[in-house]
Amino acid sequence: MRAFFLILISICVLPLIVRPVIATEIWIFAIFGLGLNLLLGYTGLLSFGQSTFFGSAAYVAGWLLKHYGINVFIALGIGVGVGALSALVVGYLCVQRSGLYFIMLTFALNQLFYFVAYQWTSVTGGEDGMQGVPRPEFLGLDFKDPLVYYVFVSVLFLASLWLMKRIVESPLGRILQAIRENEVRAGAVGYHVPRFKLLAFVIGGAFSGVAGVLYAMLFGIVPLEAIGFVFSGNVVFATLIGGSGSLYGPIIGSFVFIWLSESMSVVWARWPLLLGVAFVIVVLFLRGGVVEAWHRFWTWRRSSKPAT
Amino acid sequence: MNLLLGQILNGIATGMLYALMGLGLSLITGVLNIPNFAHGALFAVGAYFLVSVVGVLGNFWLGLLLAPLGVALLGLVIEYAGIRRLYSAGHDYQLLFTFGLALILNELIILIWGPVGISHLPPALLRGGVDLGFTFYPKYRLFVMVMAGLLVAATWLFLEKTRYGAIMRAGIENKEMVSLLGIDIHRLFTVAFAIGAFLAGIAGALTAPIRGLSPQMGVDMLGIAFVVVALGGLGNLLGAIAAGLLIGVAQAVVAAYWTEASTAVIFAVMALVLLVRPQGMFGIR
Amino acid sequence: MGKLQRRDILKAGVGAAALGFPALLRAQPKEVVILGLWDQTGAFADVGPLNDRGMRMALEERDMKILGRPIKYVTRDGATQAGTSTRRAEEAIDGEGARFMIGPWSSGVALAVSEVAKRKKVLHFFSGGTEDISGARCHRYSFQWAASPYTAAKTVVDNFMKANPKAKRWHLLVADYAFGWSVEKYIKEVGKTHGLEFVGADRHPLGEREFSNYVQKAAANRPDAVAMINFGGDAVAGAREIFNFGLTPKIPLIMSWSSGVEELIQLSPEIRENLWVGTNFYYTADTPVAKEFVKNYRAKFKTPPGYAPSAAYSMTRLMLAGFDKAKSAEVQDVIKALEGIEVNDLLGRMRVEPATHQTLRPYFFLRCKPKKAMKEELDLADVIATGDTPLPKEYAACKDIGGF
Repeated sequence: MRAFFLILISICVLPLIVRPVIATEIWIFAIFGLGLNLLLGYTGLLSFGQSTFFGSAAYVAGWLLKHYGINVFIALGIGVGVGALSALVVGYLCVQRSGLYFIMLTFALNQLFYFVAYQWTSVTGGEDGMQGVPRPEFLGLDFKDPLVYYVFVSVLFLASLWLMKRIVESPLGRILQAIRENEVRAGAVGYHVPRFKLLAFVIGGAFSGVAGVLYAMLFGIVPLEAIGFVFSGNVVFATLIGGSGSLYGPIIGSFVFIWLSESMSVVWARWPLLLGVAFVIVVLFLRGGVVEAWHRFWTWRRSSKPAT
Repeated sequence: MNLLLGQILNGIATGMLYALMGLGLSLITGVLNIPNFAHGALFAVGAYFLVSVVGVLGNFWLGLLLAPLGVALLGLVIEYAGIRRLYSAGHDYQLLFTFGLALILNELIILIWGPVGISHLPPALLRGGVDLGFTFYPKYRLFVMVMAGLLVAATWLFLEKTRYGAIMRAGIENKEMVSLLGIDIHRLFTVAFAIGAFLAGIAGALTAPIRGLSPQMGVDMLGIAFVVVALGGLGNLLGAIAAGLLIGVAQAVVAAYWTEASTAVIFAVMALVLLVRPQGMFGIR
Repeated sequence: MGKLQRRDILKAGVGAAALGFPALLRAQPKEVVILGLWDQTGAFADVGPLNDRGMRMALEERDMKILGRPIKYVTRDGATQAGTSTRRAEEAIDGEGARFMIGPWSSGVALAVSEVAKRKKVLHFFSGGTEDISGARCHRYSFQWAASPYTAAKTVVDNFMKANPKAKRWHLLVADYAFGWSVEKYIKEVGKTHGLEFVGADRHPLGEREFSNYVQKAAANRPDAVAMINFGGDAVAGAREIFNFGLTPKIPLIMSWSSGVEELIQLSPEIRENLWVGTNFYYTADTPVAKEFVKNYRAKFKTPPGYAPSAAYSMTRLMLAGFDKAKSAEVQDVIKALEGIEVNDLLGRMRVEPATHQTLRPYFFLRCKPKKAMKEELDLADVIATGDTPLPKEYAACKDIGGF
C-alpha cells in the first residue's frame, strides 16, 4: 500500500521537477520494464531482445497512425496485439532452449528484426526512422499537449502496474515463479513448462508493445534504435539496477536509468564509462539492485537499534 | 560465374575470421558458462593494441604477436578480479558485468586513442594483390585467411591432442566431475578465458588493416560471434568453425545478388537453422 | 530589526523600479542561447568534437557576444540517434532557453530535429546531404548550409567528365539513407546528360566497414569509374578496399561527398592515386576568410580543417551575420534577415535562397596528387574546379516554405 502511495505521489510531483517529456518517458520505460521483469524476475528468463516487441509494435502502430489516421486507443490495441504476436513467434523459437542458448537466441533474433527494419526503408525509413508519427486528439482530449499526454501515460502506467500485480499474484504468477525456482520440478509436478514460458513471453511482449506505441507517439518518431539491442540491453540493466526481485524494481530502475543518463550526458561525453562502472559495482556489491539495498539498509537500521 | 567464385573465396576469408571470433566465444561460454558480452570489446582492444605496438616497435609481426598477448593478459585480469566471483551469480548478473566491461573498454579506447577512426596499413610484404584468374584478390586477405585457419587448427589441436585440452573439453561437458577429479577448476576457467580473449584479440589485430579501427568496431563482431556460437552449438568447437564459414559464405554470396540484405542474411540463416534444429547445427540437445 | 528594515527598503526599491521603470529591468543584457547539437557517442562520435571546434572558433571570434549581448553556447550529444537527438534538443530549448540550433551531423537525424525546430519555433541550421530540408520537408525555421546534392553532383560529374571523357560506365556505392539516396538521384540525372551508363548501384549500411563483397561485385561489372556516395569511416574503408582489390589506380575512384582532408589523410598516397574528390570544403580554398580560419585551426589543432569543423564554423558565421543584418536577436527577425542574405565568407560568394532556405555556394572538386607531386605531407590534392549551379526549379520539391 505504501508503495502505491509513493508511486502516486511521484506521478504528481515528477513533472514539476523534470520536463513532462522526460517524465513521460520514465513511465513508458517503466511499463517496458514491467513486461521484461515478468520474464526476468518472475520466470527466470533473461530475455535480451525485448526491443523486438517494443519496436515492432511501434512501427506498425506508427504506420497506421500516420497513414490511416487511427485513434490513440486503437493504436494501443495494435501495440498489445503486435507485441504479443511478435513475442509468440520469438518465444516459440526461444523457449525450447535454456540458459545461455536462450539468451543468445533472444539477442540474435532481435538483431534479425533490427536488420529487417533497417532494410525495409520504404516502411520503416531505415536509418532515419519513421518520422511524423502523429498524436491525434480523441474525444476532445488534445494529446499533443505534453501535460495531457503525461497524464494519459501515467494512467496507463498505473493500469499496467495493477495488471502486472494481479498477474504475479495469481496462480499463473506462482507457476512462473515455480519455474524460475526449479524448472524440472515444475515440469514433474505436471505443468507444461514451455507453454507457460511462452505465455510469459506473450504477456511480456504485450506490455512491451504498449510501451513501444506510447514511445512512438511521445517523440513523433520511431527511431531505428527502438528495435535495436541497445534498447533491449537498457531495459534489462535498468531492471537489474532497480532490483529484478521486486514488482517495483523496474520502476525504480527506469527512474535511475533515464534520469542518470540524461543528466550525465550533459556533463561528460564519456559518461558511458561511469555507467559501465556502475554496472560492475552493482554486480559485485549490490546484487539485488536498489530494492535490495533499501531492504538491507532498513534491516541494518532495525538491528542496530538498542533493545528496549 | 567468376563473381560467384570470387564471392565464395571472400566468404571463406571473412568466414575464417568469424570462426575465430566464434571459437573464442564458444570456448568461454562452453567452459565458464557465462554470456561474454565483452567479447567484441576484446576484439577492438586487440586492434588498438596492434596499432600502438607497431607505433612503438615499428614491426607488424611483433605487433601481431604482442597485441593478442596483451589482450590475453587483460582477460586474465578480468577473470581473476571480476568474473571469478560470478560463477554462481546467475546469467543476468554475468551479462550485466560483461556488458559493463564492454562499456568501460569502449570508452577507454575513446579516451586513449580518440574517437576518430584510424587507418592502419598492412605490412609492405603483404600489400597489393594476386591475380587468381577468376578474381584479383588482396594478398593481405589471403594471409588473414591462412593465419586464421592456422590459429583455428592450433586451437583445435590443443583441445584435441593435449592433456590440458582434454581437461578443458571435459570441463565443457561436466565441470563438477572435473573438479571432483582434483583438477583446479579455477585455473581451468582462467586459462579458458585467457585463450578466448587471445583469439578475440588476434582476430581484431588481423582485421585492423582490412576494416580500419574505430571504437565501435567490436559491436558488429559481437553479434556475429553470438550467431556463430548459437549456430555451432555452445562449446562445440568444430561447430563454431563450420558455422563461421557458413555465414561468411552466405553473406558473401547473397551480396552478389541482393547486396542490401547481405548482413541480415546472417541472422536469417541462424533463425532458419534454429527453427529446424534448435540446438544448432552440431549442438547436443 | 535594523537588518529587516534595510532588506525591506531594498525590496521595495527594486519593486518600485520594476513598476516605474520596467524597461530598466528588461534591458539587462540577456543571454542569447545557441545550441550545438553535436554527436559525442554513436556512429558519428568522431565528428561531434570537430563540429564543436569550428562552432566554438566562430563564436570566440566575436568574444562570445552578439549585438552587445553575451552568447551562451550549449552543446548536447545527439548520440547519432533520432530519438535521443530530438529529446535533447527539446530539453535544451525548454530548459536552457536555446532559440538557435546548429546540427546535427546525420541527415536522417536532422530531419527529425528539423521537426522539433518547426514545432518549437527555433532557428535551425544544418549541413548535410539530404535535400529534403530545403526540399520536400522545407519550412520557415530550417536552413541548409551544404551544397544541394544537385550542385554537388553537377560539379563532380561535369568536371570529372571533362578530365575523363571516355569513362562512361559507372558503378555506384551508396550509403543507405537519406543523404545517399539524394546524391545518387542527382548523379544519375546529371549522368544522363553525359550519356553515362550506370552498370551497378549498391547500397551499404551506414557504418559499414566490410566492403570486400561490394567491391568484388563492383569489379565484376567492369566499370570505367567507381563513384562512392558516403563519407567518413565508410569512405575510407571503401576506398581502401577498392584499392586492395586492384580496381584503382587502374580506374578512377570518385568520392562524391567527401569530408576532405580528414578522410584523405587516412589513406596512403598509393590509394589516393587516381582519386577524385568532391567536397563541401577543402582547406586550400582561396578566400581570405578560409585562409585565416585554416591558419588559426592549424595553430590550435595541428591538422587542417575538413568539412565537419568548417561547416560548423561557416554556419555559425552565417547565422551571426543574420543577427547583424537584422539588428535583433529575435528568431523571426534573424530568419527574415537570412533570407536572401549575401556574404563573401568561407567559401567565397554565398547566398541564402529565400524560397527554399538553401545556401547557394561553391562546391569543390579536387584531384588527388600522386606521391611524387606532393610538396609536403599535407599537400594531398589540388582544387581543380568549383561549381555552384543551383538546383533547377523543376526539381525543387519545396513549393511553399510557409510562414511562422
